Amino acid sequence: MYYLGIDIGSLSCDAVLIDEGKNVKASSVVPTGARNRESIALATEIVMSRAGITGRDVKATVSTGYGRDRVEEKIASVTEITCHAKGMQALRAGAEVLIDIGGQDSKCIHMSDKTAVVNFAMNDKCAAGTGRFLEAMARALQVDIGEMGGLDKGARGGVTISSMCTVFAESEVVSLIAEGTGVNEIVKGLNRSIAARTVSLVKRVIPDYQGRPVAMSGGVAKNDGVVRAIEEALGCSVFVPDMPDTVGAFGAALFALERSTQ
Amino acid sequence: MGRQTNESLGYGCAYTPLVMLRAAGYDPYRVLPLTDSHDQAGLHLHDNLCPHVKKILDRAMGNDLPVLAGMIFMNSCDAMRRLPDAWRKVREGDRTVLVDLPVIADESAVRFFAGELRRLAGVLGEWSGSPVSDDRVKECIQEHNRLADTLSGLASKVNAGAYKGGRNTLQKAYAVAATKPLPEAIRYAEDVLSSGLKEKLSGSLPAVFLFGNILPDTEAFALFEASGARIVDEDLCTGSRLIQPVRIEDGEDLYTGLSRAILGRISCARTFNHARPGEIAQTVVERARACDAKGVIFHTAKFCDPYLARLPSIRETLRKEGIPILVLEGDCTTRSIGQHRTRIEAFIEMLG
Amino acid sequence: MLINYFDDLEKGIVSSINDQGGKASPRKLYSLEIARLGKRLYSGSNKVAWCGVTAPFDLLHAMGLTSCFVEFIGAMLASTGMAGSIIEESDHAGYSSDACSYHRAIMGAAMKDLMPAPEILVGTTVPCSGGLAVIENLARHFDKPLFILHIPQGDSDSDVAYLASQMKDLTGFVTEHTGIALDRGRLKAVIEKTNEARGIVNEIFDLAKHCPSPANSKDLNNFLITMALFLGSDESVSLARAYREEFAQRLSENRSGVHDEKVRLLWIQNRIQFKNPLVDTLEKEYRAVIVSDELNSITWGPIDPDDPFEGLARRAISIPFNGVTQRRIDHLKQLARNYKIQGAINPCNWGCRQGTGTRGLVEAGLREVGVPVLNLEVDCVDERKFTEGQFRTRIEAFMEMIQTRPNPWQQH
Repeated sequence: MYYLGIDIGSLSCDAVLIDEGKNVKASSVVPTGARNRESIALATEIVMSRAGITGRDVKATVSTGYGRDRVEEKIASVTEITCHAKGMQALRAGAEVLIDIGGQDSKCIHMSDKTAVVNFAMNDKCAAGTGRFLEAMARALQVDIGEMGGLDKGARGGVTISSMCTVFAESEVVSLIAEGTGVNEIVKGLNRSIAARTVSLVKRVIPDYQGRPVAMSGGVAKNDGVVRAIEEALGCSVFVPDMPDTVGAFGAALFALERSTQ
Repeated sequence: MGRQTNESLGYGCAYTPLVMLRAAGYDPYRVLPLTDSHDQAGLHLHDNLCPHVKKILDRAMGNDLPVLAGMIFMNSCDAMRRLPDAWRKVREGDRTVLVDLPVIADESAVRFFAGELRRLAGVLGEWSGSPVSDDRVKECIQEHNRLADTLSGLASKVNAGAYKGGRNTLQKAYAVAATKPLPEAIRYAEDVLSSGLKEKLSGSLPAVFLFGNILPDTEAFALFEASGARIVDEDLCTGSRLIQPVRIEDGEDLYTGLSRAILGRISCARTFNHARPGEIAQTVVERARACDAKGVIFHTAKFCDPYLARLPSIRETLRKEGIPILVLEGDCTTRSIGQHRTRIEAFIEMLG
Repeated sequence: MLINYFDDLEKGIVSSINDQGGKASPRKLYSLEIARLGKRLYSGSNKVAWCGVTAPFDLLHAMGLTSCFVEFIGAMLASTGMAGSIIEESDHAGYSSDACSYHRAIMGAAMKDLMPAPEILVGTTVPCSGGLAVIENLARHFDKPLFILHIPQGDSDSDVAYLASQMKDLTGFVTEHTGIALDRGRLKAVIEKTNEARGIVNEIFDLAKHCPSPANSKDLNNFLITMALFLGSDESVSLARAYREEFAQRLSENRSGVHDEKVRLLWIQNRIQFKNPLVDTLEKEYRAVIVSDELNSITWGPIDPDDPFEGLARRAISIPFNGVTQRRIDHLKQLARNYKIQGAINPCNWGCRQGTGTRGLVEAGLREVGVPVLNLEVDCVDERKFTEGQFRTRIEAFMEMIQTRPNPWQQH
């Protein structure tokens, strides 16, 4: 039998299918459209066809993410905070600090070895330092969001972006461009400002974070430049799994397995 | 002459009774919100708290401070009231004192604040190891007034003269007065007054009255000038309100007189006259008229409730008087002023 | 407009009580008192004093004034769902959207003529600079005399004497501007009522401490901060008695406020004032009950009816949001111990500098006694900013976390 985790986020809807041995059989990431149910159906369909199974082979589904209540077949819904912790603990045993930066949320979770969430904090309601923030900055820089990860190469790092408000930061970026500042310097400045905000979130959750293993999930973890800036700011290396954007769905799948076999 | 400790005491608010710190043998050092330290004060406070207070805490957390023998905090507003709470957490060993500060200046408030000043004298005496004598306080008042008068002379010259870089130079003198020992500050101000301002600005730019709270960065004033704003007078807590003279009537008890002088000084929005609610709006108009300003620029640190709350009535009063106002909110970084450049230029063009 | 609202509210409650054969839950009586206060404020026939939160309402009551803190209006507008449009009015006047939305709503209400003109205003320096500024603005708006009470930060004898003398001066101010003289005998009777209600309220809180608690999350919502407005009246005493009897009865019948109570929560500062599903989510899905509020705590002693000014001053100084933050944290820790709290929710009301200004320190302090804190970045007045999904996620994740933690008060 198989177990399905679905994470309905603000930007993407992710599905992960696992077997009884917790092995990932298939995963999918589709954009969250205006209709959640359609995105859920599409993501589910993709994983099942990739795994070559039908709905009857799925023993249990757990949903997570902003639209978690929209999944009809679920046996339970669990928040993305708990699911991310669960997923990451399975991917990286012993990780204690989890930074998750998604489309419009960023969060830091303090985990213990029993996957329990010890403490967590989320960003304030605005999009500062999240995926949407980076998208807006990419637009201002007229670069592709997918390319942004490597664009800080060779930058000396003299530029600071002081505002984390998307609107103000965008106008800062525009004025830096007007002043002739290199794109790599601006990107590095943006990465460092996200890193600074992330570190303050980490410190709020775990004041003595030094020396604890750190992992990162969420779509922004695919951006090498941001990850490097966070590593520099924290003064340690950060573990990023192969598919950082499906950690929440993976955690949900693990809950589906756990709760249906209890 | 009292014992000089050669040590500094930090402070963050313009209401701090500097003469008493000096009388206790200390050099007052204003912890201005100018720093490259990381933005981390939100950890203990809140991100939506006054950036002035957060930057001061950032300096404490980032160890961006000279050696200080202690910190003097004033209970001037919500943000300033929270600063000592956080300071004690991030620098546990520091000696700190919080001085309560009434918001009005009636007789009972004057008496209470005099008591607070006496309490402060006791604390400072303990810190320095020798009691603060009345005579020494009186001497310090005279020295302080010499600095205040020199700065006010310099300000008058800058206000009247439109010297090239004048506003910038004046702000430097304020910064020296805020952070350096008194003799050095007086010398600096006197030198600038006698020789520092020569080259007059050409052309006739519209006169502007600048008011608000925290704007310590000299570069900000260079930017105002570059944007064509000819500031002919200013009312800022890091500017003309910083060092105000202390005048005590003959025969009045020292601390009562000092209390009256501090509570009665040109005030920031946190202090007001309860008999004339909303007087600040009228005061802004009068100050603007007095210096023949064609427009008013209001610059405030973000999240400053005392100013933000009074802004609508200030705006309305200026509108009735036909005086345009430009409102700028900053976060105590030069960049935030840089962001305002276009708006300042457009405002000046409008006053044209 | 608001007079009709309060009038309808009163009539509705009275008729529902009559339908029940005269029986009423204490919460209903509480709402009735609010409706009646609203009517007194808006009737046009009473002398009104608009005040800061820490004003001595019983003293003003003894002088025949209907007194109320202005934030009451912000909360009422929020609970009726009207705050949003009224806040817009203050935005148009250039009132900063970074300011506290209680205060923005109050200024908007004044501009829209939704606040009755007072005889006098009494500003208080505590809890906040923003609130004090609003009172000054209102004094200008209504062109009415303003009195300021400076609540000292400390509680030394001289601090207390200073505030007591200001309160005496306040009575002179009231006489000067309303012609009403202070009747010492009436003041004594009022203070005796205050003391009586104080004693009963303490008993109510003691009953609420039981595990499981006889209180549900809504019973004592906004309770003491509103009760302060009724202190000194007969109604305050009968209202307090009703609560005491109800809680005692629930206890004697082994009825808890929430069936099968599993998690005990502490609410920091004020509640979210508009209708929202968070408390229901906590109770229904997690069996979690808000058993204590930071402001539901008697921090002062009985007041001497023959010489009340010192006691009134001590009361104002003792309110936990006055003074250094450590004092506030110590008080929260004490509540956590007394009520066996497993988690605390801190609604960081947007624009509130005094209450949320030390968010990090409060969180660290409670963590020392094993109580995690959920900081909710919420606007407690402006329902337009409430995004249910985001808040649900935070609340649910917090509860998932608490369920996996050991209860800090359980003996191992």
